[in-house]
Formats: sequence, C-alpha cells, structure tokens
Amino acid sequence: MQAIKQTSPYVRKLVSTKRMMIDVLIALIPVVVFSIYRFGWNSVIRLVVSLVIMIGLEALVIGMTAKPKKTDITFKEKLKTKYSTYTINNITAPAVSAVIFAMLMPPKLPIYAVAVGAIFAIVVVKMMFGGLGGNIFNVAAAGRRFISLALTGMFAGVYVGVDAIAGATPLSALKNGMQLPALLNSYPISDLIMGNIPGTMGEINAIAILIGLAYLLIRRTADYRLVVSTVSTFLILMILIGVKVYPDQWFEFVLYNLFSGGLLFGVAFMVTDPVTAPVTRPGRWLYGLLIGSLIVLIRTFGAYAEGVAAGLLFANMFVPLIDYPKWSTNKIRPRFLIGYAVILVIMCLIVYFGAGGVVL
Amino acid sequence: MIAKTKYIPDGKKELKELPILHYLDANFLYYPVTSARCPEGETCVRGGQFVKIGEVIGTRKGAFFEQPMHATVSGEVVGYEKRVDQSGKVVDCLIVKNDKKYNFHASIKDRSEAEINALTKEDFVTIVKDAGLVGLGGSAFPTYIKLESNDPINIVIANGVECEPYLIADYSVMMNYPHEVIEGLIYAMKASGAPKGIIAIKKKYTEIAERLNFSLKQYSGHDIKVVKVGNYYPQGWELEMIKNAVGIKIPQGELLSKYGVLNFNVSTLQSIFNAVKKRLPVLERLFTISGNGIHNSSFRARIGTQIPDLIELAGGYKNVEIPKVLILGGPMMGVNVTRDDIVMTHTSTSLIVLNEEILIEEPCIHCASCVYSCPVSIQPTQIMNAYKVKDKDALKMLQVNKCIECGLCSFVCPSKIHLTEYMRLGKRYASK
Repeated sequence: MQAIKQTSPYVRKLVSTKRMMIDVLIALIPVVVFSIYRFGWNSVIRLVVSLVIMIGLEALVIGMTAKPKKTDITFKEKLKTKYSTYTINNITAPAVSAVIFAMLMPPKLPIYAVAVGAIFAIVVVKMMFGGLGGNIFNVAAAGRRFISLALTGMFAGVYVGVDAIAGATPLSALKNGMQLPALLNSYPISDLIMGNIPGTMGEINAIAILIGLAYLLIRRTADYRLVVSTVSTFLILMILIGVKVYPDQWFEFVLYNLFSGGLLFGVAFMVTDPVTAPVTRPGRWLYGLLIGSLIVLIRTFGAYAEGVAAGLLFANMFVPLIDYPKWSTNKIRPRFLIGYAVILVIMCLIVYFGAGGVVL
Repeated sequence: MIAKTKYIPDGKKELKELPILHYLDANFLYYPVTSARCPEGETCVRGGQFVKIGEVIGTRKGAFFEQPMHATVSGEVVGYEKRVDQSGKVVDCLIVKNDKKYNFHASIKDRSEAEINALTKEDFVTIVKDAGLVGLGGSAFPTYIKLESNDPINIVIANGVECEPYLIADYSVMMNYPHEVIEGLIYAMKASGAPKGIIAIKKKYTEIAERLNFSLKQYSGHDIKVVKVGNYYPQGWELEMIKNAVGIKIPQGELLSKYGVLNFNVSTLQSIFNAVKKRLPVLERLFTISGNGIHNSSFRARIGTQIPDLIELAGGYKNVEIPKVLILGGPMMGVNVTRDDIVMTHTSTSLIVLNEEILIEEPCIHCASCVYSCPVSIQPTQIMNAYKVKDKDALKMLQVNKCIECGLCSFVCPSKIHLTEYMRLGKRYASK
C-alpha cells in the first residue's frame, strides 16, 4: 500500500469548470437554433467561422507561448510538453466565447469582418491577458465593439428587415427620431418577443434567451445578483424616462427598450460571465448597477443606439477598483446599502434631468 | 456552481449502522511521550516496572502547562519505540506490555455524592488537571485552563455538533452515555459557577434529542436544555455554534470566558464525569475506520492501542494497488499521515483511507464560490492572487489571519484549486 502526501481538505465537491462552460453552451442552444431557423446558412457560416478561429487560435497561441523543457529534443517531444496543460477547457471556453460572438453578428455582415472580430477577441482580448481566467474584458463584447468601431462601414445594410424601414433595428429607428406610436406600428411588442425584427442573430428572440437564462440560473452557473441588479437598474431608469417623455405610453416604451437592442442577450450571457465580474456579493450588485445605468445613458444620450457591449466593457474597467483589497468585502454592510442607494438616486437624477425633467 | 455551499455529503448514516467492536486487550500499548501541544516530556517509570490502570507514567510539558500521562492497562514497562501520533509526527512512545489482569491503581476509587457536593472550584480544577484531561474534540487544549478562568460564567455549552463528515465519536457518546455527558456538564457548571447549561446538537439528530431530553428528566434541579442548531458545515466551530445556540456573537480571537460562555466537547464532558466520579483518566474511545480504500469498522479501543491492529481486525485495505490517502480526523480538517503505524491518543477519533483521486488544477474563473462559502467572510481567491505576487500588505488587508482552515474554499472550487493550502501559505507569509 502506497500512502500519498496531501493536505486537507481531502474531499471535493462534484463541480467543474468544464461543466460550467458546457452549461453555458447548453443555455445557448435555443438562441442558436432560432438564429439558424431565421437566417439559415448566414447563421451557420458565421458560427462555424468564429468557432474555428477562436478554438484554433487559442490552441495556436498556447503552442507559441508555452515553453518546452530543456530535455525535449525532438519536435514531437516539444509539442507534447507545450500542450501538456491543454485541457478540455481550452476548447469549451473559446467555444462559449465564439458562439456568443457569432450571435452578436448581424446576419449579413461580411465574413471578413466576423473573422477580424474573432481574431481580435481571442488573441488580443483573451490570450494576451493570460488565457482563461486572465482576461479583464468580456471576450465576445470586446470583439464586437472592435469591429463596430474599426469596420463601421461594413455595418451598412446588414440587418435583414421584414418591414418598410429596411436596415434599421428597432432601437436605431427610435434613435433616428421616429416617434413611439409610429414605431409600435412597425415593430409591435409581440414581434420583439418572437424575434420577428431586424437585429443581430442572437438578440432578437426574447423567448429563446429567457429559456437559456432560466437554465443558467437554475444550474447556478450564472449569478442571479448580476442579472437582477442590471435589469432592475435598467428598468428603474427606463421607467423614469418613459414617464417623462411618453407619459401615455411609458409602459410600451419600457417594454420596447427591454426587448430590443440585445439587452436580454447581454444580461443572460455576457454580464453573467464570472471571469470579468467582481468576486464579492456587494461588488456584483454594484457591477450590475454600473452596467444597467451605463446602458441607459449610452442608449438615451450617447451616439450609439445599443449600449450593452459598450456599457459592459466600461464596467469591466471598474472591476479591479471594486475588488481592491482595501475595501472589498463579502459582507453586505450598511455602508454598502447606503452607497448603492445613493448611486441609484444620482443616476435617476442624471437621467431625469437629461430627459428634460426640469426646465431651468 | 456559484452559490454558498454549506452541506457536505457526510456518509455518517452507514457508519452509525456499523457494529462497535470492542478491542480492549492489545498485547502492547504505546504512550507518546510528547504531543502537538507539549513538545517536551519525560517518563517516571523504568523498564521492567509494573504499572496499573490509572497510574501516572510520565509528564508531557507544554508552553504553560503540564499534563500527566496515565497507563490504560496493567502490565510491565518494556521500553521505547518510535510511532506516529495524532498530529502526524513521529514521536517516542513508552511501551507497556499488557498482562491482561486489568488491575486498577490504588488511587482509583469512586467518589460518593457527598464528596462531590463538597468539592470547590479549586478541587475541580485539580481533579481535571491531575486526570490530564484535554479537549477531545481535536484541539487537545487542556481542560483545566478553561475551568480555571476567573471571569463570571453564565452558561456552559456542550458541543455535540460534530459537523465533519465521517465522524461519529460524539454521536455515539451522546447515544450510549447520555447520563455521563449530562453529569459531566453539571460538574462543569458547578466548577465554573454557571447557572445554565446547554447541549447543542444537529437539527437532524432527533433520536439524540429524544434520548437526551428523556435522560434530563432525572436532573430537573438543573437548568439544562438541548438546543438544536444547523446541520451544515462548519456548524461545529465553536463561534458559529455559540452564535446559533445562544445568540452571542463573539469576535474571532477573543476568549469565550469574557462573554460568560464556556464550551466543551461532549466527549470532554464525559471524561470530566469519569475523572470526578470515578477518579479515572481517559481510558478508551470510539475509533472509526472509514473511507472507500478500506473495510469500514467501528471500535472501542484503549488509548495506546496501535491502529495497524485495528486495521487488520477490520479486514485491511481494499484495492491495494491504488495509492491511498490516510487521514486522522475528519476529511475536511484532518491530518494527513504517510505511515500507518499510528498510536491511538486522547484525540483520536477516526482513520479515513481514501483512494487517491488525481485532481488537475484549472485556472481560476472568478466564479467566487469560495468567497460566498467562506464562513469567516474572507476572499480566498483574492488571497491566493495576493500570495502569488507575494503582496504582504494585500494579504493583511484581506485579513488572511481570520482563516480557520475549514477547507470549504478548496471543497467548492470548480477549478479544483487547492485554496486552503494557499491560505496556509498566505498566513505564514503575512506573519513572517
């Protein structure tokens, strides 16, 4: 009998990172199925391109950066040492990023742009920061933001419309000065929920996304705090704007904003990404508050119609600040509750004044 | 998954059903001269000398206390050998050859009720000190120091929670000797002058609650209650248990007696009973052999018994070709040993043998399960990162010294990172 040296504890819970990644992939199935049903080969090709690029490049970067041992002589031995740390997580994790990234693509976006975004996301945003667990920005969101900034021209006319206002997503139509009653004729709320609108491949069907989100929350793979905090902040601020700008139709206005512009998709699959979220309970509530209010600010006052990816990336930058050892704590203290309430009130005031609440 | 984990599969149900084998007649009994708390020790017997049960055979010397060693059989002193003790260290052991006559030493005789009623606090402290009683829950802290405290004590708590998986020593004490536990509690209350006593047990132990409540009917003159606390881990940690049982929040690092509370393990109380009533030191304990790498069995064995004898009686190891992990104590906080020539001491309760499972550490994905699960509200993942970059200030800011090494952070980690080990390293580094 051979006795092994170990330190306590000697038993472990039956959970794994692999299982968490696969959970996210399972949760993405309804969204992916709907996008293939709606956009056919357009969707399949973009999915495959981003999957191949992300998984392939992650493996390539590991091969390039890992150091072989001095004792390795032949190429085969070197390769074996380099890939000794290559596990199933080096396939599932980029696959999650790739599927989310593909679902953020408009259906007619040139393959070239998809490839550029995927390469940027995996190489610059993920692998250069140290691979799984090391990235400080959400991989898919950063890739999407990069191509929409760098290759803006390619986004012209990429949305498949079924309607008179071809090429405009519901939110950009609102942004471009269309008034709410007319908009609701073009895009009824039921269409927003069923996915019968122009938009990126994953964001349009609210039902598919909510099924995935429910699965993630039931499996506890996603932290409900992030979801609740983001959505509730978003709703509070949107109700405030709705009541001010469209007093008669504020409810429709809020629903319209909730179901369009990829908010639900972002909340379900990008905000809940644990790698780029803070690690404490108060930190996660604050992070959600930050994302929710940034989305509202960008949508209402910014130059872009959709602010989920931008708001998320901006909030990612605050994570090291939230997690700074000097004040980070896992206890819900009174001073955190006060701080949270104060920030929320300030955000409400900003939004209210911004929407023309008080004329001086 | 990202959630606060409190419940650990405890595997106690199967162990409780095991018959308890009495193995009280080992041929040779081994008594470690030193222990984890007492780095020095000396014996006061010579080779060839005959000793009797309860006779003092030596003294272990700690930093601020001394602790007598007692023979648990009668027989001849034959010499010294090295063996592994409860703390996993190799120590010198005095060997007594059992003559199987079990003669008691002249000093061992029962005290009458009148004698016990006349005992003062100082008498209790002396009795407990002379019997060499230590905390049998695993801490091995000398019991008399707790009793000696001059702070006014309002409440004495018997801790019968035993939250670690695979341990049933306290359970069986409460089940089989409820009167001894209760009387031990009454003696502890007398010694400390506390008017109130509480026996804290797990909520799911309804059979224990019934048994204790039934036994308590005989002691209606004393204010003793059975309090049910949570089933979770680490409910048995004294601060957590006191918080739930009596509602007193005690900060870490403070003495319990300052808050008018005294806390004893139920097995310790049983040993107080034996010391006061029968003038006996701890002679025997329940010892469980469990885990998937060995044939499981429960024993009642004398202190000083060699564990290999018990292993052989139980049926030996299963699947000898698979490497094993040997654990003394529970699987969350127990001590790892690499040899099985272990000697039973006061604090031995269990040997767990697990087949080795190879765990591959994945990168941390910041899921924060460890942060959510930590019973002392520190942030294991951030402490790990701070230790990796050797940031002493960050380690202190993250209060690494609050860690009680309960093992939950490693237990819950989906990436199988050994966070508890990083906590230990971090503590050591921060105090360097």
